[in-house]
Amino acid sequence: MIPETVTRALQPAGIRVIEAGDNNLKADVDAPSLPRVVTALKEARWGYLSAITGLDRTQLEAAAGDTETLARSFDVLYHFCRGASVLTIRVTVPRENPVLPSISGVLPSAVLQERELSETFGIEITNMPAHGRLLLSDDWPAGLYPMRKEHTPDFIHQKISELPHTEPSALPEEGPGKFVIPIGPQHPALKEPAHFELAVDGEIVTDVSLRLGYVHRGIEKAAESRTWIQSVYLVERICGICSHIHATAFVLGVEKLAGVSAPPRAQAIRTLFAEMERIHSHLLWLGVAAHQAGFDTLFMFSWRDRETIMDLLDQVSGNRVNYSVNVPGGVKYDIDQPRSDAIRRGMDALEPRIYHYLEIVTRDESFLRRTRGVGVFPRDQADSLGVVGPTARASGVLRDLRVESPYIAYGDFPVRPVYDDGCDLAARFVVRIKELFESCRLVRAILDALPSGDLRVDVPRRIPEGEAISRVEAPRGELFYYLRSAGGINPDRVKVRTPSLANWAYVLSVAVGLKLADIPMVIVGIDPCFSCNDRMTVLRPDGSRESVSWEQLVPPGAGRAGGCPE
Amino acid sequence: MSVLLVIVTYLIFPGGLFVIVGSLAYEYADRKLIARFQNRVGPRWFQPLADLVKLLVKEEIVPAGVNRGLFIWLPAVALAAALAAAVYVPMAGLAPAWSFPGDVVCTVYLLMMMTLCIGLAGANTSDRFSIIGAVRALTQLFSYEAPFLLALLGPAVVSGSWRIAQINGYAQDHLWMIVTQPLGFLVALLGLMGKLELSPFDAPEAETEIVSGALTEYSGRGLAFFRLGRDIELFVGLTLIASFYLGGLANPLQFLVKTLALLFVTAGLQSLFARLRIDQTVGLWWRIGAILGLGQLLILIALKTAGVPL
Repeated sequence: MIPETVTRALQPAGIRVIEAGDNNLKADVDAPSLPRVVTALKEARWGYLSAITGLDRTQLEAAAGDTETLARSFDVLYHFCRGASVLTIRVTVPRENPVLPSISGVLPSAVLQERELSETFGIEITNMPAHGRLLLSDDWPAGLYPMRKEHTPDFIHQKISELPHTEPSALPEEGPGKFVIPIGPQHPALKEPAHFELAVDGEIVTDVSLRLGYVHRGIEKAAESRTWIQSVYLVERICGICSHIHATAFVLGVEKLAGVSAPPRAQAIRTLFAEMERIHSHLLWLGVAAHQAGFDTLFMFSWRDRETIMDLLDQVSGNRVNYSVNVPGGVKYDIDQPRSDAIRRGMDALEPRIYHYLEIVTRDESFLRRTRGVGVFPRDQADSLGVVGPTARASGVLRDLRVESPYIAYGDFPVRPVYDDGCDLAARFVVRIKELFESCRLVRAILDALPSGDLRVDVPRRIPEGEAISRVEAPRGELFYYLRSAGGINPDRVKVRTPSLANWAYVLSVAVGLKLADIPMVIVGIDPCFSCNDRMTVLRPDGSRESVSWEQLVPPGAGRAGGCPE
Repeated sequence: MSVLLVIVTYLIFPGGLFVIVGSLAYEYADRKLIARFQNRVGPRWFQPLADLVKLLVKEEIVPAGVNRGLFIWLPAVALAAALAAAVYVPMAGLAPAWSFPGDVVCTVYLLMMMTLCIGLAGANTSDRFSIIGAVRALTQLFSYEAPFLLALLGPAVVSGSWRIAQINGYAQDHLWMIVTQPLGFLVALLGLMGKLELSPFDAPEAETEIVSGALTEYSGRGLAFFRLGRDIELFVGLTLIASFYLGGLANPLQFLVKTLALLFVTAGLQSLFARLRIDQTVGLWWRIGAILGLGQLLILIALKTAGVPL
C-alpha cells in the first residue's frame, strides 16, 4: 500500500514510487529535482528525514560481473520515515563529478548529515551553509574520502602516516564585541568529547556552533572488512550505554537479508534486555542531568539505584556494559528461574525509587526552577525537524518505534507509549522517568510469559545480496541501520544513524537566546551520546594497524619506565 | 611580654594555627556530612589537610597574560583577611582576642575581602571561564552582602553595642535571638553560604558551565590559600552567627555544639537544592533577602525606640 499523500506529493514531479515490501517504498530521483521532491514531501507533511546514506556501488557491480575496477557512480539514499514506513529516495551521482544540491534549505536538520556525506564520500553539496569540518580532523588530507571503496584502509593508513605533524588550532576567533566561551572537547560538563563555541553577551548566548568527531573509530568502514559475525561485536562497541540495541538493530537487518527470523524465545529475551538497558540508560541520564543542574544528591542516589540493574545485567550475561546478547539468528543467554527471580526482585526494589524520583522532578521547587519553561521546543518544530525518542515525546510527538512498528517481541508485549505536552526540560524528565515504569512493567510481563523453544536458528555465513533497513527504538530514540550485502561474507555497507545525530538539530535551534547556565542542561536534555555520533573515520595509525603499541603510549622523550612490559 | 602575647594571639591562639586546624576539621565535617546525606562514604579525617599539603607542594603555574604580582598576592591577601577576622570573634567560646567599638563592621569587611580577591583574581586572567566566574562572583557579592550586613546589625541594635564581645555577652544573658529574630538568622546563615559560594549559591564556580569559575587558572599555592581562606571563613562565619543568634558562646563546649549544629544545617541545605542560576540568586537576595533583613531591622528599631524590652 503506497500512502496516497506520497503519491500525490511525488506524482506532479514525475516520480514513480514503487513498493518493495516490508513497509519499504522506493523512488528514483535525479539530482537537480531533489530539492523539489523534498519540498513536495515536506509540504505534504509526510514523515521526517531520518538518514542520508552514501553508497559506493563498486563491490556490488563487481559481484554482478562488471569488469570495471570502480563503479562509475555513487548512490545517495534519503530515507524518509513515518511510522513503520520508510520511503527511500535514491539519487545517483557520477563518480567523476559528484555534485548534489543541498536540501538543508528545505529541511534545516539535514545539514549535519549532508556534511557527514560530503566529508566521507567527497560528494560536493551545493548551496550548503559554509562550515568547517564536522567529523574529520582538521589535518585530514584533502581528497581522502574514507568511505570510498578505492580508499582502502591500507591506503588511508599510508596517507595519514605521511602527514606532517600539525599543532591544533588555538583559541576560537572572536570578532569585535564577541565573547566566545569554548565548551569542550574537554570540559566538566561533557562526559564525552564534543566542542561547542558559545558566543555570549553577558549571560545570554548569541551564537552556537558544534564540532564532533573527537572519538572517531571508523566503525562503518571497519565493518566492511570484517565478517557479518565479527561486525556484531563491532557495532556493539559503538555505544557503551546502548550496546544491546545497536547489536539488535544490526542482527535484525542481517536476519532480514538472510530471510530467517529468530525463534520467539530469543526475540523475547532480546526485548527483555532492551528494556533493562533502557532502565539503566535512563537512570544514568537522570544522574547526569541532575549533576548539570548542580543537584548532586539526586545524581548520587539515582546512580546508586542504577547499580541494581547493572548487577542484574552482570548476573545474566557476565558483563555490565557490553552484554553481547545477540548473535545473528538468536541470542546467547537463556533466562532460567533463579535469574528470572533475581530480575523480579530488582524490579521490586527499583519501582519505589523511580516513583520517588518522579516526585522530585515534578515537585522540587528548586529543581523545577531550572527545568520548567527552559529549552521549550514546540510540537510543530519537533515534528518537522525530525527529532526522535524522549526528546520528541516530551514535545507531544508520539514517535516510538516500539509502538508504531513493533519489532522483536514488542508485538506480543505491547508498549503503552509515554508522552508529555510540556515541551520543556521538565517534560523530558517526566517522560524518561515514566518510561522507566513502563520498562519495569514490560520486564515483568516478559518474564511472566517467556515463550519456550530454541534460542537460535542458523544463519549462513554468506549473506545473500540485498539491502535492508532496520529501525529500533534505542533509549535515546530511533536508531537507524542500513545494511547492504553484495553476497559475500563481509557487509558491503553498514550505515548507522544514531538518535543523538537526529537530536542535535534541536540543541542548535534553541540554544540562541538561552542563558549560559541553561546550556549544559539543554545539551544533556537530549541525552547526547557522542561516541555514537563519532564512528566513521579511521584511526591515526603509526605502524601497527589495529592496536596501539606500548611505545605509542609513552610520550616522546619520556623514556621507558623500568619494569614495564615490552 | 606583650609582644609575645601579640605573637601568640596572631600565630597560635586564637588566630593562626588554631584557626587553620579548626577550619580544616570543619571542612572535614562539612564534606563528610554532605557525603553521608548523598549516600556516599566521604573523605577520611585527614583529607582536608592532605589536600592542603598536596596543593602547597605543587608547582604554581602563572598563566600568560596576567599581572604576576596580583596573581600571586591576591590569594595571600584573601587568606590574611580571613585569618585577621578570626581574632575579633569569640573563637572557641573565649572572649575575642581583640575588641574595639565597631569591630562587628570591621569583621564583616574582612570577611568580604575573600570574594573581592576571588573576583579580582578571575578578572586578572584572560581565561573565559575565569572572567565569567569573576563577573558572577562580584554580582553575587552585591546581592548578598547588604542583606548579610543587615542581618548582623539586628543583634547589634538590640544589644546597643557595636562590639562583638558585648553582643556575645548580651546574647548569653537573654533569650536566644534565633527566637526573637528568626528572619535575621535565616538571612545571615544563607548569606554566609552565599559568601562561601556553597551549593545552591555556587553559580560563580558552576563546574558544569564554567569549570572552576574565577579560580580556574589557579594551581598549587594560590589555590591552597584560597581554599584555606574559604575554610577559615566558614569557621569564623559559623562562630559569628552562633554567638549572635544562638545565645552566645560562653565556653568551648557551647562553641563546639552550637557551631557544629549550624554546620549540620548548612550541610543539609547544600545537599537539598539544585544550583540557582545567577539571575535567580540575585532575584532571591534582592526581592526576598534584602526585604526580610530590612523589615526585621526596622521592626527592631521601632520596638527599641518604643522601649519594648527585647
